[in-house]
Amino acid sequence: MILLGELSLWVSLLMGIWMTTVSFAGGATRRGELVQSGERATYATLFFVIMASVGLWTALFTHDFSLKFVASYTSANLPKVYLFSAFWAGQSGSLLFWCLILAIFSAIAVVANRAKNRELMPWVTGTLGVILVFFIGTILFAANPYDRMEWVPPDGRGMNPQLQNPGMAIHPPMLYLGWVGTAIPFAFAIGALVTRRLDTEWLAAIRRWSLISWFFLTIGLVLGMWWAYVELGWGGYWAWDPVENAPLTSWLCQTAFLHSIMIQEKRGMLRKWNVTLVVAAFLLSILGTFLTRSGVIESVHSFAQSAIGNYFSTFLIAIFVVTTILVMTRLKDMEAKAQLESMVSREAAFLYNNLVLVGIAFSVLWGTLFPIISEAVRGTKITVGPPFFNSVNVPLGLGLLALTGIGPLIAWRRASVENVRRQFVFPVLCGLVTGGVLIALGMRAFYPIVAYILVGFVVGTIAQEFFKGTRARMRMYAENVVLASLRLVGNNRRRYGGYIVHLGVAMIFAAFAGFAFKKEFDVSLKTGEVFRATDPFGHAWTFTSQGVSEFKRLNRYVTAVALSVTRDGKPMPVLSSEKRQHVDSNDQPTFEPSTEVGLYETAMQDVYMVFSGMIGPDQAEVRLAFNPLVWWVWYGGMVMAIGGLIVMWPQAEKKRQGGYVTVLTPGAEAPVPATAGAQ
Amino acid sequence: MAERATRRDFLRVAGLVLTGAAIAPRLRAQEPAQGAANIEMPQTAYKAVSLPKKVGAKPLVTQLERDALERGLKCACPCKLDVFTCRTTDFQCGISPAMHSDVVRLIDGGYSADEIVAAFTTVYGERVLMAPVKEGFNIAGYVVPFITLGIGGTMLVALLRRWKRETETMTPAVVSRSVLPISGTMPEATDDEMRRLEAAVRGRAER
Repeated sequence: MILLGELSLWVSLLMGIWMTTVSFAGGATRRGELVQSGERATYATLFFVIMASVGLWTALFTHDFSLKFVASYTSANLPKVYLFSAFWAGQSGSLLFWCLILAIFSAIAVVANRAKNRELMPWVTGTLGVILVFFIGTILFAANPYDRMEWVPPDGRGMNPQLQNPGMAIHPPMLYLGWVGTAIPFAFAIGALVTRRLDTEWLAAIRRWSLISWFFLTIGLVLGMWWAYVELGWGGYWAWDPVENAPLTSWLCQTAFLHSIMIQEKRGMLRKWNVTLVVAAFLLSILGTFLTRSGVIESVHSFAQSAIGNYFSTFLIAIFVVTTILVMTRLKDMEAKAQLESMVSREAAFLYNNLVLVGIAFSVLWGTLFPIISEAVRGTKITVGPPFFNSVNVPLGLGLLALTGIGPLIAWRRASVENVRRQFVFPVLCGLVTGGVLIALGMRAFYPIVAYILVGFVVGTIAQEFFKGTRARMRMYAENVVLASLRLVGNNRRRYGGYIVHLGVAMIFAAFAGFAFKKEFDVSLKTGEVFRATDPFGHAWTFTSQGVSEFKRLNRYVTAVALSVTRDGKPMPVLSSEKRQHVDSNDQPTFEPSTEVGLYETAMQDVYMVFSGMIGPDQAEVRLAFNPLVWWVWYGGMVMAIGGLIVMWPQAEKKRQGGYVTVLTPGAEAPVPATAGAQ
Repeated sequence: MAERATRRDFLRVAGLVLTGAAIAPRLRAQEPAQGAANIEMPQTAYKAVSLPKKVGAKPLVTQLERDALERGLKCACPCKLDVFTCRTTDFQCGISPAMHSDVVRLIDGGYSADEIVAAFTTVYGERVLMAPVKEGFNIAGYVVPFITLGIGGTMLVALLRRWKRETETMTPAVVSRSVLPISGTMPEATDDEMRRLEAAVRGRAER
């Protein structure tokens, strides 16, 4: 099976080349049989990529240490669940995983478009073929997971202990699903550009793909934060590391696109901008993959440096150039057909929102690349860490939060003063009351206060929208409150699902602001010694050392310290943190010791404990922290994901015709009401 | 009807290609990453930072200020953490405790926080700072995002004004189906929105 897998990888390259060649040829010559052959080659490529993947999984599960990849990332005593996730623990396997997802997505895209978008499909299939060929080629010629060892070791090196975490088994697939998902809209954008069919047809084909990509990126980012928080032990969840920044920039572009696509659908505007966002999201996903794999930028996540950086930089430049040529030669085809009636309208608000989203994406990318730019200009290496990113992105993030609340309150086309006044009163009051209460309670930090005022404003906006909608349904259809609110969401999934996403965003911003009030202590405790501390909410805590214990688990030696805890005199769960020394099946240490944090989570705050090490035979050094509102990051992420699911969920097609869009042409005599759809 | 690429298009693309070609080798020439913190621990990364004790030296930096100072210094190990966080969470790192000792010695020697940061920068270079100092070219790092956003905002407002001006010279004429939402992805609107829209189209006051 392993040999079959290796051979399959080569065959998949040939299939990918065939898929690309005949699809482009079919598109150019309009020969149906070539197009069909290209689509069948997509399925064949998928089959052989699956075979290649199954081969690698077989090698991992059978401990075939003759493969470098298996010997480098697993050991005989590695738990089975991590044998499965070892597939993406190293560079070559993760690239094969990229290919596997892309091949699956490509096949789904081809199946889903068997009977529609036929003019675009040859170019879509061909473009996906190019990307597949690039990845398979890179794997085969620069990072092959089937590379053999010169001798077969008795055991492997084992998996990095920090990757032996359930979050790490799920986080990379989610991120890859999101990242790879950007390839499908990109392929459709290329198809639309080549065929000059730049109306709304191609948007219909990619909207759900963009949502799927956005959905998985959201989950991937939040899971990554959770993993960093519970596994890395430094007490935070976001460090502005290049590998975090890369998917964030893609996510920001996707988010901008999901807003601006509505303007093109409703008003026929922003064609150039939407194409640009789709292309940017894909290019950023490739750039992110390049940055984290080439060693160009230091990252805690960097895979070992290899030659693949050259492949990626060449591919990135080639795609950029080809896309730029296509866009520039089709600018006239993308002229907007509708116009703007007011600077204060939902359309304008979406554009401001796009500006800020793309502005944040740019600032994150700029900060990530600034060390390279600085070295190129001055010849001096610098570090661009969290203080830089926070100083630049916090004001921008707050601007985005404000727009999250403002957008839904403004009417499409034109908002009158009366409309603005009526819509804004309640949300603004919510924000001001929130701020007033917090100031009265003693909060003085500027940014957190602004953040909470805006969170109050956004939550007020969402509550008002749900309240008004539900009340309208109750009056119109005599429904009870539960039924009315469920049907409100069910019948307007896109709109109210979007509001649920906004609620998740507000929860996450509240959590970010709360983290500013973190309190932490470094403590040395002998058995029986007590440490007393007061948390940010004024509760009195005691931590009593229960001593240090040492024991062995399946593939590791563990040193653990336990603290019994009380809050305001009441006993709380025991906190325990561990230092783990992982060993192979011959009991030989594999990696540097890792830390498992002790965590007591509540909605208000986490008590976070890290066992730093022993400083005497019976004296443990621990770091204790009260981290306010961290819970809201995870649940805010879940709320965003649920909102995304609601938006994505297929809805019965509405047969509303006409109306809703009025094209304004010079010289016409009398306005014609848009009645057909305005019912 | 296919549009022919103009000479300007060609020059734009050529410019992009040349820029890309100029940047690519530079990107490849960067020093590769040293790997993740838990894989390699380069013991040579540590460099002693010492200065002679000042006459009649008295500590000018409190413990809280010292911790804040250490949060601004990057540990020389590959963890990417600051010295304070690294030394208090990772006992396997021998570098952050050594850097911490240097900080403590300099404080005992009567040096201020700024002097200590300067001493570390002299020995390790600017890389030791968690964020670039706001001077010289580094200022670009801080202001370029805001300048770009400002330019983008100005362009956007200008564009919106132009669209609005153009719209004002037009009259609603026909309901075009060519720009209608695509089938199956019809954007929803509440009754309130539809009512406002209808009122606006009919030229009545909103509400």
